[in-house]
Amino acid sequence: MDFSSLGFSASALNVWAIWILPFVGALVIPAVAKVSKKSPGYVAVAFALVSAISAATLIPLALHNQEIHNQIPWISSIGLKAGILADPLAAIMTNIVAWISLLIFIYSTGYMKGDKDLMRFFFWMSFFIGSMQLIVLSDNFLQLFFGWEGVGLASYALVGFWYRDKKKDHVGIEGRTVLGLLDYYSPTQAGMKAFIMTKVGDIMMLAGMFLIFAFAGTFGFKELAANTGWATAMSSQNLLIPAAILLFGGAIGKSAQFPLNEWLLEAMTGPTPVSALIHAATMVKAGVFLVARLGPLFFALAAAGISMDQFFEVITWVGAITAFLLATQGMVQTEIKKVLAYSTGSQIGYMMMALGIAGLSRQFVDGYTAGFFQLISHAMFKASLFMAAGSLLHVVGSRFMTDMGGLRRLMPKTYVFMWAAGLGLMAAPFITSGFWSKDAIFAAVYQSGNTWAMPIFIMAVITAVMTTFYTTRMIGIVFFGNKSKHVEHLEKEGYHIHEASPVMWIPYGILAALTIGVGVLGLAFERKLHNIFTAYLSSTFGIQSQVGAVATGSSQLLGGFLEGVNPIALVASLSAFAIGFVLGYIFYIGKFVDPAKFVNSNIVFYAIHKFFLNRWYLDALINWTFVVGPLYLARGAYRYFEDRVMEGLNLIPEKTMAGGARILQSTQTGISQSYLYVFGAGILIVVLLLFV
Amino acid sequence: MQYLLLQAIFLPLLLSPVAYYLGKKSGPNAATWFSFGILAYCTALVTLASLSGTYEEHYPWTQQFGEFGLVLDGLASPFAIIIYVISTVVVLFSKPYMVAKITAQYEEKMHAQKQVVGDGQTAMVESSSLKNYVNNQIGIYYALLLVMAMGMLGSILATNLIEFYVFFEVMLIPGFFMIAFWGYEAKRRVALLFFFWTHVGAVILLLGFLTIGFNAGSFNYADIQEHGIPHRLLALAAVAIIVGLGVKMAAFVVHIWLPHTYRAAPTPLNALSSGAMLGVGAYGFFRLLIALLPGEYAHFALFLNLWGVGTMLYGGIMALVQDDIKKFFAYSSISQMGYILFGIGSASALGLSGAEMLFVSHSLGKVILFMMVGAIILQVGTRSITKMGGLAGKMPITATCAMIGVLTLVGVPPTSGFMAEWTMFNGALQTAIQEGSIIRMISFGLGLIATVITMAYSLWMIKRVFLGKLPVHLENTKEANWYVTGPMMVLAGFTVVIGIDPDIFFNQIIPFMKGLVGV
Repeated sequence: MDFSSLGFSASALNVWAIWILPFVGALVIPAVAKVSKKSPGYVAVAFALVSAISAATLIPLALHNQEIHNQIPWISSIGLKAGILADPLAAIMTNIVAWISLLIFIYSTGYMKGDKDLMRFFFWMSFFIGSMQLIVLSDNFLQLFFGWEGVGLASYALVGFWYRDKKKDHVGIEGRTVLGLLDYYSPTQAGMKAFIMTKVGDIMMLAGMFLIFAFAGTFGFKELAANTGWATAMSSQNLLIPAAILLFGGAIGKSAQFPLNEWLLEAMTGPTPVSALIHAATMVKAGVFLVARLGPLFFALAAAGISMDQFFEVITWVGAITAFLLATQGMVQTEIKKVLAYSTGSQIGYMMMALGIAGLSRQFVDGYTAGFFQLISHAMFKASLFMAAGSLLHVVGSRFMTDMGGLRRLMPKTYVFMWAAGLGLMAAPFITSGFWSKDAIFAAVYQSGNTWAMPIFIMAVITAVMTTFYTTRMIGIVFFGNKSKHVEHLEKEGYHIHEASPVMWIPYGILAALTIGVGVLGLAFERKLHNIFTAYLSSTFGIQSQVGAVATGSSQLLGGFLEGVNPIALVASLSAFAIGFVLGYIFYIGKFVDPAKFVNSNIVFYAIHKFFLNRWYLDALINWTFVVGPLYLARGAYRYFEDRVMEGLNLIPEKTMAGGARILQSTQTGISQSYLYVFGAGILIVVLLLFV
Repeated sequence: MQYLLLQAIFLPLLLSPVAYYLGKKSGPNAATWFSFGILAYCTALVTLASLSGTYEEHYPWTQQFGEFGLVLDGLASPFAIIIYVISTVVVLFSKPYMVAKITAQYEEKMHAQKQVVGDGQTAMVESSSLKNYVNNQIGIYYALLLVMAMGMLGSILATNLIEFYVFFEVMLIPGFFMIAFWGYEAKRRVALLFFFWTHVGAVILLLGFLTIGFNAGSFNYADIQEHGIPHRLLALAAVAIIVGLGVKMAAFVVHIWLPHTYRAAPTPLNALSSGAMLGVGAYGFFRLLIALLPGEYAHFALFLNLWGVGTMLYGGIMALVQDDIKKFFAYSSISQMGYILFGIGSASALGLSGAEMLFVSHSLGKVILFMMVGAIILQVGTRSITKMGGLAGKMPITATCAMIGVLTLVGVPPTSGFMAEWTMFNGALQTAIQEGSIIRMISFGLGLIATVITMAYSLWMIKRVFLGKLPVHLENTKEANWYVTGPMMVLAGFTVVIGIDPDIFFNQIIPFMKGLVGV
């Protein structure tokens, strides 16, 4: 088949293949499912593998700062083209998505074994990564939006995958209410919530897109970067900053940032591989990627004399607030997946904060690299943690950590891998990727020179303390101490708790190992990334970095080894880890203090604990304001307006006609004389009309 | 090739007695496939005619009214094609539904008679007379359906105000009978209500037409634009047209006939009405207001835009709180007509194109959804949403198609809904910026919020109907038969194809709209 006639360039086919193949896989899956019930998993893995290999062919682009840009005709009547843009940013991102999803797919074949809806599951999983790759590789907003809604749709379908709403698939504690509303969600409810809440972000994004299109006449990223006349025109009408913030609204929704963060928790109703996919490779990362796509574009407008500080301030603050807000709630959860979910939102907050601060500092590339580095390390350790948590759920049969406990000896591999990945999340010094990326963020914030740098820095450090604490807590409750009653009960019934099958532990083992591996080479990895982005930003957007003032600059701490590490950021990272870890150790591993007693010992602790557990009342308030209240009003409007007032419009003609008929009826007397009188009168009138 | 359009319009009318006769003599299958054949052939004719750009046919008519012309241009062809596609597909869907409905009515009637006469008849007589009864009724049904299709296509292709009006009225009559014969609950009353409202709308429209026609000295569209008519009269005529068509489209305030009608009408008529008939109202706005009276349109555009937003929001909010699934979709249709009105009021080429695309998209989506309603009424036997749940496991094809239908309504890519909505909203925003109008900005924002409401009510419906626990009384539910699922899948595929490659219709629509209002 000759693709070139359609406009496909031969050299770009591998790029197209990255996102088209998963969709093809999705379409093939229902067909092969008819042949063999087990086949969907293998087909999905096969397509994901080929897609990942295509993605790997793009790595040289990143290393040599090249790009592939190819367009085909699409909506020709308005001259819109579909296209792919594989620049270094997209090349790195597409590899993260492809390889991590591949591992998750392999894991899923074990995790979902025996489920009777395998076809539906793998259809949507493939659709999910296809959509995500479409976001990453699109060269314009409109096409990106296809992927954007695609991941929303896939998440809706997968979060609500167990659509029969069985009790074990819910999230939350049954019957628990906050402000009179249930804090207990069924899968279908959760799916709906996720889709609608992200849609709120999506409409903001659409509005932003359209605003820009109205001035630029194009959706293309390259066109927008090439000619910034649109930006000048928009900023003269004070529309540029609103448009940019509206676009960021899309990222807020997708990445579950404050104030649209509440859907992410309930999204835990999906099967665990779905959670891993949503949190590590797709969906929530889409928002970060969008900011990474747009950030340089807006930052480069400084050259045209347009300041985008307000835009970047919004990003930074949203990120900082989210990171803090969700970390506080992560500390008090009893469900293992909820701990991880809160931590995702919080970590994404870090990424946003870094990307935002990049735009506020002179050294754009520092924050940019830090944010993206965090994205990479988070993708690895969070996917690993979720898959490990999935194994735990699988084996123990309960989503509550309190139903686990003492699993260290029973599941040694999972225990080790969870420590490795968990250390990444905690940012354990020097050996984990998480440490270097978080350190880079601290450094970027600290060195940004922004007015608000200090408060944000402090928030970030406190969040890091909490992160380490809740991760230690999670590992402590699950693996240390005595076996829970639930586990003992299982064992009494003759159920043998054992390690998950290799098809499940190998994927998260690989990622856990990578977390440590990249960690050991952390600084070198970061410098490489820094170089790639420096080259990319300067050649594509003309953003120059100032030589010598690089974050990896000149400190001589600890001799040559740590050359380039900001000392204050380093001290902050180290102490945040130490404090969080020690606190976690005291309560949950060493068990020197009973946490329940500690919380109840004092009204202030109790109140804070309750406040966190009730999600700062945000979820309940959002529900009251946007769901319960409006529905109540709508019922009233229906009952009293539509059914009474508007219905009157029907009754008026009906009553008039019925009444009119009654009057006319009375003339139908059947008496010929009266008819004759009327007839005569009629003739008289006609005669008068004619002659007078 | 000649007489393509003439055939496409009048074949259904001329052959409708044959459909009746076939139904009476040979039963539902023959009538169904005969009607399907005619409409499929006519759909092919229309599609064929639309392939070569603008296609016209002119025939002499009376002196007073002008000529009898048929034109298929960039504006008319998407409407014409979709209306006939929908009619064709509804023919298939009607068969299982109407046979079941007529059988139920027969049993009701027999039951009533038995109570009067007493049980005396043998079972055999009953079964043979049931067959006759069904055959006879289904024959009438298909004859009416064909006439209705002809009326809808006629008003789309008309080139003359009086011609438009005649066809416009013709399509009401079959609707009236369908409700009166095969409706639910207070069917006669509602049939009258339906006829009264749409007829009043049509008469107001006619007044507008007469004002224009007598002043211009001709009723041909082509002649009218060339005549200078006093502005005051034109404004009056425009108001009459807006009100008349607004009633047809069931815009807010004059929407009140629609929920009743939808609740009482047989489901295939819901599908036809929502998917095709309401669209004729939308088409009227394009042809009679924007193309014919551009000056007046410029004055009323903002009003239409706001009216649209009001209808969008109001219909959506009402849909949120419905329990009867037919009424639910009635309000959803009102809301969707609001979208179209919003686009019509956008005063920009892209916005208008989006509005027309939205008609296409809404027709496909809503017909899928009404088929779903039909399937549920057939298989489950209830219309109350609260009594449903968990049906996805029992009716997977219906559930999947319904989901695609819902995504089409909400405007999620890759369905045609997204192509319609983004162009429409984009156009609306462009006008707002160009005019620097804050009101238009606000209306744009409210419109976007209405899409969230649309999503909320649609997904909530899906959740309550298809997801969750399966109630005990639905354990034995089966998938609908392929007369229902087949057409649903075809339409579902169609909406995705248009969503990915909108040029199928945009290639005709956008150049036309650009010609209409400038770029």
